[in-house]
Amino acid sequence: MGLMVLLAMRSIVRNVTQEAWLLAVKVQDGTKTTNLIPRRRASAVSRDGRRSKRAPRVLEFVQICIGGLVVGSIYAAIALGFSLVYRVTGAVNLSQGGFAIIAAMIGYTLSVSLSLPLWLAIPCAIAATVIIGVALGALTFVPALQRLSNANVLMLTAGLLTAIEGLSLVVWGSQPYAMPPFSGETPLAFGAIRVPTQAFWVLGSVALCIAVLWFLVTRTKLGRGLRACAENPAAASLMGINVPRMTLLSFALATLIAAISGVIVAPTTSLQFDTGRLFTISGFVAAAIGGIMSFPGAVIGGLFLGLATQLATAYISSLFSNAIALLILLAVLIFRPSGLVQASVTRRQDTRDEVKAVGHVARLPASLVTPLGAFALVIAVLVPFVVTDNGILSGLVIALILFMTLMGLDVLMGYAGQVSLGQAGFMAIGGYTSGYLAVNYGLSSLLSILAGIGMSLSCALVLSVVTLRLRGLYLALATLAFGLLVDSCAVGFLDITGGPSGLVGIPSFSIAGFEFATPHAMYFVVLALDVIILVGLAGAMRSGFGRALKAIRSDQMAAAALGINIVRYKLAAFLISVTLASIAGSMYAFFFNFLSPEMVGTGRSLELVAMLIVGGESTLFGGLLGALLLTLLPTVFQPLATYKTFAAGALLVASFLYLPQGLYGAVVQASIRLARSSRETASTKNSSETQARAL
Amino acid sequence: MAMTDARVENSNEPVLGVRHLAKSFGGLKAINDISFDVAPDSVTAMIGPNGAGKTTVFNLVTNILAKDAGQVRFLGRDLAGMSAVKIASLGLIRTFQAARVFPGMTAIENVVVGAHRLAPGSGASQMLWLSAARSEERRIFRRAEEMLELVGLASFRDAHATELPMGAQKLLEVVRALMAQPRLLCLDEPAAGLNDTETGELANLLRAIRALGIPVLLVEHNMSLVMNVADHVVVIDSGAIIARGTPPEIQRDSRVIEAYLGREGHGAS
Repeated sequence: MGLMVLLAMRSIVRNVTQEAWLLAVKVQDGTKTTNLIPRRRASAVSRDGRRSKRAPRVLEFVQICIGGLVVGSIYAAIALGFSLVYRVTGAVNLSQGGFAIIAAMIGYTLSVSLSLPLWLAIPCAIAATVIIGVALGALTFVPALQRLSNANVLMLTAGLLTAIEGLSLVVWGSQPYAMPPFSGETPLAFGAIRVPTQAFWVLGSVALCIAVLWFLVTRTKLGRGLRACAENPAAASLMGINVPRMTLLSFALATLIAAISGVIVAPTTSLQFDTGRLFTISGFVAAAIGGIMSFPGAVIGGLFLGLATQLATAYISSLFSNAIALLILLAVLIFRPSGLVQASVTRRQDTRDEVKAVGHVARLPASLVTPLGAFALVIAVLVPFVVTDNGILSGLVIALILFMTLMGLDVLMGYAGQVSLGQAGFMAIGGYTSGYLAVNYGLSSLLSILAGIGMSLSCALVLSVVTLRLRGLYLALATLAFGLLVDSCAVGFLDITGGPSGLVGIPSFSIAGFEFATPHAMYFVVLALDVIILVGLAGAMRSGFGRALKAIRSDQMAAAALGINIVRYKLAAFLISVTLASIAGSMYAFFFNFLSPEMVGTGRSLELVAMLIVGGESTLFGGLLGALLLTLLPTVFQPLATYKTFAAGALLVASFLYLPQGLYGAVVQASIRLARSSRETASTKNSSETQARAL
Repeated sequence: MAMTDARVENSNEPVLGVRHLAKSFGGLKAINDISFDVAPDSVTAMIGPNGAGKTTVFNLVTNILAKDAGQVRFLGRDLAGMSAVKIASLGLIRTFQAARVFPGMTAIENVVVGAHRLAPGSGASQMLWLSAARSEERRIFRRAEEMLELVGLASFRDAHATELPMGAQKLLEVVRALMAQPRLLCLDEPAAGLNDTETGELANLLRAIRALGIPVLLVEHNMSLVMNVADHVVVIDSGAIIARGTPPEIQRDSRVIEAYLGREGHGAS
């Protein structure tokens, strides 16, 4: 079957690139529908022949709606967790989907591998997940809230999600798991409608979760404490409420809900280490559609999203079901940014929320810039003559290509403070456009890169209608949605992109008939591009342009009062980042002679953010360090390649907490210390000489 | 006052003309029919008890709040419907009640941002490291250094702005606004949170600003500062103007003493 082919193909691709999650999402979308509504399509078609055409249509519709409600209730549960944590802390916790998958995996191991009875295995799995969740929350989320801005906490939890995925990749591998339903395979029949028994488990447990949570929040003293934290943490702490404990409690409750949903939904879908993303993203989208400040909103958003995706899958195309959900989201963000259900209490948005976020950026003393820059450039030029291993050299080329995107991302995120979780989407647009033109029309490399840029910029201008109005959480959401939308299109537009199997036969990069086919040649092309971009951006960032961006990041209102046109500068930063991502995407396609959706998918977007944070934000150069680290580590230490995802996530979390200036900051401090100590030895030498002379 | 004839000619037209300003919040009339002018080369202070509506007037003038009625003219132009950026680019530069220095930037960088209005520069020439852009940079930095020198903050040049003492941050904000070469400088309670010494420094700075020929509109709580530096005082209470005049006139006005200083009033401190 096509599905099997896809699965097999995906595992091959994964072995090559180590990150193929997008297909998993697609495939699971399909499986979920088929599992929940067995042989839906086939039966409808076979009946069509004999009976009147109307009845089966209605029947089919009811079946799909039931499936939608079941999926939707899971989304609703996850959205409830989002809403809970957001209301108490003002931050979004993206790691929930990860906990859902951990709970399901532990449940599988206990019940299938260790053959424990379900009534024991499931509570144990949930309890174990909650313990892991509380430990992780106490170590990362709670301390982060006190130090980081909400946007950075969001990225930290994205790192947590990646780390959890990486961990389950290490423990459970990349193969899919299927858990048996709790009470048998035979669906219950209501007349002609057949409902799998697991659907009742799902609906029942989610309803129970909602009821218990509602009781806890509205009827108990604990709930009052939680609500007080939501409305005014500072005042709450003055009233003797332990805010960090309440924060942890909300995190734990969200984890509990995620764990229950994960275990309960496991039998209806196939699980993999990276299915968690699907849960997280769907829950996040559901919460945003419904209104993240309101519990009923979360539930309504979840059910709505579930119904919409299932109906779209059934009546339009499974390839575009995500795209439809995301278009709904973007529409909601444009027309009703706070969601369909307005909350009775709005969380107070402190305009200077970002203050605690804006740390001090390590800056290289001016006297060291030229010598260190020249030194780095000489090393970079010499590397290909020393490194002969083609694998490592390819890794370097990839790192240098990603560095291009990272410089743009740094202008956007580091300088202008605009979160972007969909940057790889523009790599995809650029890469596919130039790849397609080069393959089908034999367009020259330079022209096709330019065409890619044009395409990316037009998409960016459309997207900016949404993003320019948004900040923080909603901006993150909109960019994430955009990235996923591009993913869906890359998979869905089979004729242009080659679909999941990718676009093949892209020629190598060439100028005026000279082809840069080897990693060796490509290295110099990309290096030259990087240097030009770096020098140009450094010039802009050290002068008025960069200062205006930084001023906007720190205080929009004060910046506007000085005559800085916020919209224009944000747009400029965005378009710069898009242009660079697009060029990088094209170069990527030319280098691999191939482009597939997961090479430039949302996984890549999150990885880019990790690289930037690990390397050091608003330094321009830091991205290179992050890219080198995360690209070369798995290449150099082949046996550790399975740990790559885990390392990316864990490093992101760790550098947020312990290395806020990133690797670049550490390097700068080391070189300052080195310069100072060498100067000191020189001066002591001088003084001892003068002393000697005096004697 | 020593003024050239040309300046007297110009001074017929006020820099800022506020006419019949009104604003209600819900049923409450916060501002009711307020009109006043800011003359060139003068410091105009707006005073009044807490909650009188001073900052509201300020926000109405700079379009941060939408006015219900009235007109604000700046250098002969009606400000109705203009964005904060547009107003700033005309040369009406304001500061905020709580010092809003840019965190994550050093003191000198903060001051240099102030020059944005005058030298927005082209991104392209900056990217190409053109010598014009670089000499422009050097010029702005030199001017910023002089500004810091002027208010005695030169030693904080490379310190992070948010790590400066409160008084220094306030001064920094005023200096940053000055970098924009305002046609009118609006200061929202610049002395709030300052100690006596710092207030004295601020008074000196305000006199220096006036000497530079930059008109100032000052919303202030600190009576001694107002009486020291203002040329013209507007007193508002409960959203309406109750008195206007020179500081000595205001100090003698019985309504002001009653409304502002209370019935037990011992006169201005």
